[in-house]
Amino acid sequence: MPSIVPALEWLEGLAWTTAIRESVWGYPMIETAHVASIVAFAGLVIMMDLRLVGLAFTHAPLAQIQRRLFPWQIAGLVPSTATGLLLCCIDPMRYYGNVFFRVKLVLLALAGLNALAFHLKTYRRAERWDEDPQATATARLAGAVSLLLWSATIVSGRLIAYNWFK
Amino acid sequence: MKTKILLVLLAAGALWSVRPAQAHHAFAAEYDEKKPVTLTGIVTKVQWVNPHGWIYMDVKQPDGKVKHWTIETAGPSQLSRHGLKKADFTDGMSAVVKAYQGLKDPALANGRTLVLADGRSFYVGSVGGPNDGADR
Repeated sequence: MPSIVPALEWLEGLAWTTAIRESVWGYPMIETAHVASIVAFAGLVIMMDLRLVGLAFTHAPLAQIQRRLFPWQIAGLVPSTATGLLLCCIDPMRYYGNVFFRVKLVLLALAGLNALAFHLKTYRRAERWDEDPQATATARLAGAVSLLLWSATIVSGRLIAYNWFK
Repeated sequence: MKTKILLVLLAAGALWSVRPAQAHHAFAAEYDEKKPVTLTGIVTKVQWVNPHGWIYMDVKQPDGKVKHWTIETAGPSQLSRHGLKKADFTDGMSAVVKAYQGLKDPALANGRTLVLADGRSFYVGSVGGPNDGADR
């Protein structure tokens, strides 16, 4: 299998990635935007998850919460993904060798699959218990798994700065 | 009842969040404030990069052998704020760096003060190091 390292080194050597890596303002601004949009995204996802597991907003119909939160969740997801990809492009070799970065990618994939499964399958059949304070077992599980996986993703993302396993 | 659970969770989170603030950016996790070193040698390479910069230095030891040091510095914004420019560095120039040695890696150090050949001196440390006055 061909290694992806030459491609990453090529990316790292480009003029624009080097310019941002060495910048006084560019990098801190991208990093701040990354964190701020994650806060928006994760905060709104947690609200939905708390409804699912039955800890908050239990007297509001699930569909209403979903309808109100979802557009804003996406409004947080798009910039956090874009700035995240940009950060990867700026310093690819640093992240390639970082254990916490690899863990974060796996957690992101799992959290994404959980969200997809919930929205494409579980939520489709949610009409029957829409106003029920207690969600179905599958939906409660989806909420709990979401809380765990997104929290773990954020923690591993923060830990990328501490490369303890070089 | 549920409100109480949430309050307990919030309080626990607030207490937990105090911990990392004390060891900001892991100076204490990676460097030994009881091992200050003054490195006089040749700068072989400088990485003027975010989030932290790196100075690579060859230092001749008392036994005549050359030790290759890797010195962590603050990032471009902080270095610029202290008056340093990327153009102040040329590979092969001589310099003096006051630093703290790594806990595990004896060739790693956390830079505090950089003195260039022309005598100009700069604070190059990042936030969270020992209170040694290097930043004043």
